[in-house]
Amino acid sequence: MTVLIGDPVLEELRGILGPEHVLTGKADRLNRARVPAPFPVHRWAERMPDLVVLPASTEEVAEVLRLADALRIPVVPRDGGTGLTDGAVPLRGGIVVDVKRINQIKEIDLGNRTCTVGVGINALKLNEVLARHGLIYPDDPASYPCSLVGGRIGTSGWSLIGSRYGHTRDLVLSFDHVLPGGRVIHVGDGIGRKITKSSSGYQLKHLFMGHQGTLGIATEATLKLFPKPEAEFSPFWAFEDYDSAYRAVGALARAGVATFAGAVLFDEWKVDYLRRDDEAYIPQPSSVKALVCAALYGYEDEVRAGGRRLLRIARSLGARYLGDEISEGDWAARHDRYATPLHGRTKSGQVVPMSWHCEDASINYTRLPAVRLAWHEIAARLRRESDVFDDWGMFAYTNGATGADYLTEIDIGIWEQRLDDTAWAAWVRAKRDLAAVTLEHGGSISACHGSCREGEVDLVPEELGGGYDVMLAVKRAIDPNNIMNPGKYLLDQAYAEEP
Amino acid sequence: MPDPDERPEKEFAEEWRDAAYNCFSSGHKFCREVCPVMQVTRNESWSPTAFHANVVAMEKGELEVADVAADYVNCTGCGACEVRCPNSLFTGDFYRFRTRTVDLVKAVRGLAVEQGVHQPGWRRWNQLTDERRHEPVLDGTPVDQGRVRDWAEGLELPIGGESILFVDCEAAFVRTSVPRSVARILSLAGYEFGLMNEQWCCGGPAAEMGYDEQARRFARHNLDDWRAAGVRRVLVLDPHDYITFTEDYPRYFGDAYDIEIVLVVELLAELIREGRLTPHVPVERTVTYHDPCRLNKRKGVWREPREILRAIPGLTFHDVDRVSQWSYCSGGGGGLPVEKPELTAKISEQRVGKAAELGVDTLVSACPWAERPLSDAGRARSIDVVDLHELLAESLGVSP
Amino acid sequence: MTYRHQEEMSPPPARRVTDVAITRFEHVYEVEPALMTEHVTQQSFPNWDTLRLVRSRADHLAWMHRHFAGKVISGEELLHDLDE
Repeated sequence: MTVLIGDPVLEELRGILGPEHVLTGKADRLNRARVPAPFPVHRWAERMPDLVVLPASTEEVAEVLRLADALRIPVVPRDGGTGLTDGAVPLRGGIVVDVKRINQIKEIDLGNRTCTVGVGINALKLNEVLARHGLIYPDDPASYPCSLVGGRIGTSGWSLIGSRYGHTRDLVLSFDHVLPGGRVIHVGDGIGRKITKSSSGYQLKHLFMGHQGTLGIATEATLKLFPKPEAEFSPFWAFEDYDSAYRAVGALARAGVATFAGAVLFDEWKVDYLRRDDEAYIPQPSSVKALVCAALYGYEDEVRAGGRRLLRIARSLGARYLGDEISEGDWAARHDRYATPLHGRTKSGQVVPMSWHCEDASINYTRLPAVRLAWHEIAARLRRESDVFDDWGMFAYTNGATGADYLTEIDIGIWEQRLDDTAWAAWVRAKRDLAAVTLEHGGSISACHGSCREGEVDLVPEELGGGYDVMLAVKRAIDPNNIMNPGKYLLDQAYAEEP
Repeated sequence: MPDPDERPEKEFAEEWRDAAYNCFSSGHKFCREVCPVMQVTRNESWSPTAFHANVVAMEKGELEVADVAADYVNCTGCGACEVRCPNSLFTGDFYRFRTRTVDLVKAVRGLAVEQGVHQPGWRRWNQLTDERRHEPVLDGTPVDQGRVRDWAEGLELPIGGESILFVDCEAAFVRTSVPRSVARILSLAGYEFGLMNEQWCCGGPAAEMGYDEQARRFARHNLDDWRAAGVRRVLVLDPHDYITFTEDYPRYFGDAYDIEIVLVVELLAELIREGRLTPHVPVERTVTYHDPCRLNKRKGVWREPREILRAIPGLTFHDVDRVSQWSYCSGGGGGLPVEKPELTAKISEQRVGKAAELGVDTLVSACPWAERPLSDAGRARSIDVVDLHELLAESLGVSP
Repeated sequence: MTYRHQEEMSPPPARRVTDVAITRFEHVYEVEPALMTEHVTQQSFPNWDTLRLVRSRADHLAWMHRHFAGKVISGEELLHDLDE
């Protein structure tokens, strides 16, 4: 259903939120129809919502959802809009509920070491306040300076230092959640707001994280806090071939060092790409073909002991330490490592602004080499087809402390100024093929972004099997009128007539 | 029906397209949490990244300038978005291509004015400036050419000379103790300088609000006046003027622009370093320093004001580093207080709130335009807002 | 400290570093200008702006370390421990 200007629903919304918090301007709507995910910019206008609301409280969100449900108007929740999947992009118009105004720090509980915040808050800004208490909320995505807590919940985000502190699902203890009909529930372990472990009832917290806005809207969250680390160590090492680097990253991750917060493997394509414009890698000798870095956080004595152990392991596997300057500089830049468009190059080497598309999957350690080759082949096919695409190389990041699986990403540049239907179709096909490789190797289509984007989403039912049927049943039960982010995750199937 | 390829928006987008895609295609939005307007409104339509995305939409024929002109009011020109953007911070110098949101905002405002889309407050402000040759500053303060040097009464400063002190409209007509302090300090150090023959507003505010023709006319006047008097060097105490003289004027006059521009704060720090000035009167205050946006974010000037503060005996100085201050602002720039004083007030309240958390009694600024909104916000929290130049004069034992 | 337009618009001479990068200021790399001639052209970039960004980057990275931890451990120092 489309909401037209002059529609009585507008007046109702203005009554709920105040007139200045109901936006109908075209620029207001266009700017809430895009995220950094692969985006058909040539068809931007098709993604526009009919209007945007800026609620300030859980109650206001609930009233908006009650109204939308009664009138069957699609609702798309939006927080930071920094996601690399398109959860916050409307497919069917309707109302975008932009929750950035719900960003207050409600409580810092020093005794239980938690804080309660509005989901419109950014973790960096929160940590500036927590630092005064010697505390940190260590949810650290590449969008750390701009992503917001609500989006981290809606996508079930991944953290760079998750091997030490856990990922968003571990760090968010509980939250207020508005169901599609407007009912507000509290979701956590058991009923508690600050409980970290319960076995009472179904464990609903995971269900209401990572649903990409298809099951309602989180508004206020209670977060787990840690002491701000006394010390950090972030060594970077160079290798003469990928296989050595691959062996080293596995050994580092399996070492069982308690302060180990994560390790990253850079492949040859990534190193070549960094040589284009990264001051740390431009002067490196051509023998450098792959890189590994690790990060440790904790008390200084622990970090020193763990650091020595990792340095010894790396050295025994042929690693060359790149020095303190590169190690420190590059690691500090990883907290805000979104790509710069000017990394893009045509086949002739000319600089062009390309958008960054990080295609991610969770892949087990032993499958990394095979997935890597298959993925680069897909990227090479795209590049052969069109100058619109560019292979920016691959990273593999540890998902957890034991080294079982890795967030595996291939970064592909897309020259959006030249994007058209043909190139978009080639892209969607490539995404489907990337996801198929993941499933062939027993992986999961996404480690951190979500898998509801065009192309890859087609394979989600295959990945989840019977679990996908449960998803359909849950969606139908919780959102009987399909108002929440309709069209995402192919969930319209939940409402198909029974045969 | 007009040819769609001849729309002014299309022509505009052609000039700004690459810059716009450099933002749109990255989608970082690292600008958002440092943007002062965004921090107090949380409205993404007024985020720096939206200002770039709108250009892409204009190119695609989705937007006209009239649709968005009012959105572009919501910018103080502080430059936080530009410096925090990875496209500047990490690769701007490498590619010699950085994010230029401030220039873009000015350009869209200019396009709006060109198309006859005016903001009422700005139109009036610039009309009055055009009539009086100076900004109308505070309502009720008499502003005219005959009074532009009144602030210097009794200081017996010469007119003209190789070096002249340029005093912005706010300081010349309202914050007169600031230029008086500067003049007294420079005289104490034996630094020779004079005043301008016929000083007009620098033209920067008109340029910021989109009145480009007026801005250029005022700039032309000032440059001609300098040349006629044999001026080689212009001393500038206001960060806004410093931007105008080092960014706008070079753009207007190109290689022919041969006037040296000296920032007074940097000069004073040097005079202290050389021992030509020695602050000795203790100033018993507990202070923090507000980095003026145009110095810290847009010019990278942040050491010298701290050097001066550390040279003043008696001060207890609780510093907040320059990077944290990328997200601080007074809200006083870019014409925002003329059109949306309520947003300026909120931004200033937030800034003063940060100072209050440090337990200080004084917030030191080095920007006359920041000091009015900050002082208003400071009163509610019993925090004095004091200008750095005045503070230094006090410690040097010279009264304004 | 003093702004002089002519000086600002005269960068130090370029020296080649790799096929795709040059250097003008110490420890500062720039793209080979020939790679920005067809689609995106370089902006007018006074020297102060280059140096402002280089210094701001260093300040930002140092800030980020302080934001996440009290101190940074030196790998060179730990390697030295291993060799003893």
